[in-house]
Amino acid sequence: MLRLLAARLVPESAQFSCAGHDEMLALIDQALSDRPAAMQRQFSLFLRVLRWAPVARYGRTLDHLAPEQQDSVLRWFQDFPAQLIRSGFWGVRTLVMMSYYARPEVGASIGYRPSADGNAVLHARSRR
Amino acid sequence: MLDRDADIVIIGSGAGGGTVASELAPLCRDGARIVVLEAGPKLRDAEFTGREVEMARRLYIDDGGVLTEDRAMTLALGRAYGGSTVVYTGTSLTITEPTLDRWGVPGLTHGDVLRRSQKYLAANNVHLLAEEDLNDNNRLFVDGCRALGYRVEQFPLNLKGCTGSSVCNLGCPSGAKMGTHRVQLPEAERQGVTVVTNCAVDRIENHAVVATVSERSYGEMSAWAPGEYRIGARAVVVSAGAVGSPALMLRSQLPAALPALGRYFTCHPALILVAQHDRPITNYAGHPKSFYCDHFADSDGFLLETCMYFPFTTAKSLTGFGAEHSRLMGAMDRLQMILVLAIDPPERDNRVLVDREGRTVVRYRFADLVKRSLVLAMRASARVFFAAGAARIHAPASPKFFIEASEADRVDELIPHDGLVLGKVAIASAHPMGGCRMGSSPADSVTDSWGQVHGVPWLFVADASLFPRCAEINPYVTIMALADRVAEGVRRQLPELRALSS
Repeated sequence: MLRLLAARLVPESAQFSCAGHDEMLALIDQALSDRPAAMQRQFSLFLRVLRWAPVARYGRTLDHLAPEQQDSVLRWFQDFPAQLIRSGFWGVRTLVMMSYYARPEVGASIGYRPSADGNAVLHARSRR
Repeated sequence: MLDRDADIVIIGSGAGGGTVASELAPLCRDGARIVVLEAGPKLRDAEFTGREVEMARRLYIDDGGVLTEDRAMTLALGRAYGGSTVVYTGTSLTITEPTLDRWGVPGLTHGDVLRRSQKYLAANNVHLLAEEDLNDNNRLFVDGCRALGYRVEQFPLNLKGCTGSSVCNLGCPSGAKMGTHRVQLPEAERQGVTVVTNCAVDRIENHAVVATVSERSYGEMSAWAPGEYRIGARAVVVSAGAVGSPALMLRSQLPAALPALGRYFTCHPALILVAQHDRPITNYAGHPKSFYCDHFADSDGFLLETCMYFPFTTAKSLTGFGAEHSRLMGAMDRLQMILVLAIDPPERDNRVLVDREGRTVVRYRFADLVKRSLVLAMRASARVFFAAGAARIHAPASPKFFIEASEADRVDELIPHDGLVLGKVAIASAHPMGGCRMGSSPADSVTDSWGQVHGVPWLFVADASLFPRCAEINPYVTIMALADRVAEGVRRQLPELRALSS
C-alpha cells in the first residue's frame, strides 16, 4: 500500500528498485517507531481506510483503480470535510515525502547542493 | 534511585537555562553546586552532518514534528546541549517597547530588558552580515520588498566564523552559531557548573527533582551514569521551553494553586511560500535567513522572513502531490522561499496540558484573526516574489498549485481566505511562548516579574514560557534577557532559600 501511495504522491519513487523501496519503508518504520503506540495503530488503520474507502464509489480498492482514479481518491482525502481525516492524510503524505526526499542522492538530483563553504560559492560568483 | 544534592538545579540548557547557568556560575567559586539537566545529547562536532532526517532525529523532539492535539500544526522543539539555540538561525532581535508595553507586566520595564539584551548581543557576537555574504534568496526578497515599498530590515545574527553552509536549522556544521552551546554553557562549565546531558526530568518534588539519565548511540557521554536520580536542591529553575516547562510543572503537583499554568500559549504560527525563478539562484549557499519585513506587523499581524529549507521540509510544506509537486521540487536550485509568521493573541484556552498518562498535549485553536493574518501574509509574499521576478509561485492556500507571473495581478483572488484549510495546509511553529506567564496575580499568571513561581518560593521559570503574550519577533534574545533577570533574582534570594530548605 505504501509503495502504491509513494508512486502517486512522488511519481519519481516508482523508478526505485526493490532495495530503494525497502529503504523508503525502513525510513517510515523508523520514524513511526519513536511515536506512541496509539499513533502507530492510527497510521495502520488510516492506510486500511485509504485502501478500502474507494469501494463505496468505484467498487474496487485503491490498488485496483486506474492511476487517475487513485489521484482523485487521494485528493478527496486531502480535502475531506473533517479535519481529522485531512490531518491523517497529511501525516501519511508527510511520511512518504520524508522517505523519498530525505535521501541524500535524491537531494542532489533535484538541485539541492548545499556546500560546507557556501560563502566561498557566493564570493566566487560575485567575482565573476 | 540514586541521590544527588545541589544548591541550584536548572532544567534545560537552551536560551533560558544556559543563560541562568552562566549567570549563576560565579557562585561555584563560593562552593555552590549548580547542576544543569538537559534532556538532549551533546553532539561531537563531527556529528553535525547537515543530513536532514538524521539531524532532526538527534536534535529535535519527535524529529521536529511535535503535533498539536488536533494535528493542525507541528512544533519544532530543539533538544540538545544548548536547547533550541543549536537549531535556530541565530536571528538576534531585541523586543520593542510597544510590545513590552502590551505585555503589561508590573515591574518589568523595557529599559531593563533592553540593557540585559544588549549584554547578550555583545556576548554572542551579534552583527550584520557583509554584503558579499548575502545570497540571491535574500537579495531577491529585499528587491521585491523595496519595489513594493515594504519596510525590510536585515537580521542581526550571532555568528562567528560562519562559512555559509545554510543548514542552521540542522545544527551548524562549522560551529559558527553562538548559541548557549558555544558561549554560555562552556563558560559555566569552566566555572564549575555540571551539565548532565541525556537527562530527562520526570517531575519536580519539594526542593527536589526526579530525573532519568539514559544512554544514546551518539553524542558525548553524559556526566552521570544511566539511571534514575533524585536531586535535592535549594532552588530549582525550570527552563524546559514553553511546552516542556508548563508540562513538567503540571505533572509535578506543585504545592500551590496555579490556574494559569499551561495557559495563554502562543507560537507565531508559520508557513512557507515558494517561488520558482527561470534561472538558478544562490539559495543553498550562504546564511538562509538574513532579512525580514515587519511592514504589516501592526496593521495585519504578520511578519515575513527569508528562509531556505531542505528537501523533505520543503516537500511537506507544499500543498498537494504528484506531477506538479515533483516539478517544483525538481527545481530546488531555482527556488526562493519566504516564511510567514502570524502574531497570535494570547488565548486562555490555547494551552499546554498533560493527559492521564502524563503525556504532554498542546491544545491550540486558530483564532480567525490568525487565519486572516496568514492569508494576508501569503498574498504579500506572492507580491514580493513577483516583484522580484519569479516565474511562478506556490501558495499553500491557493486552489491552484502554481500561480504564474501572468496572474500576479490576481493574487488576492487566487489566495482566498477559505483556502487556509487546517489539516491540509502545513502550518508549523518554532517560537513556542507562554504557559508560565509572568504577572502579579496567581489568577492569571504563574510567576512574578522575576520568574519566581507564585506560592512556591524555591521554584523559578526562565524561558519563553514566561512571555505573557507573543514576542512579535524572533524570541531568543528576549528569553536570554529574562533569564538574566531570573538569575539575578535567584542569586539575591539564595541565602534565604538555603535557610528555607534546611
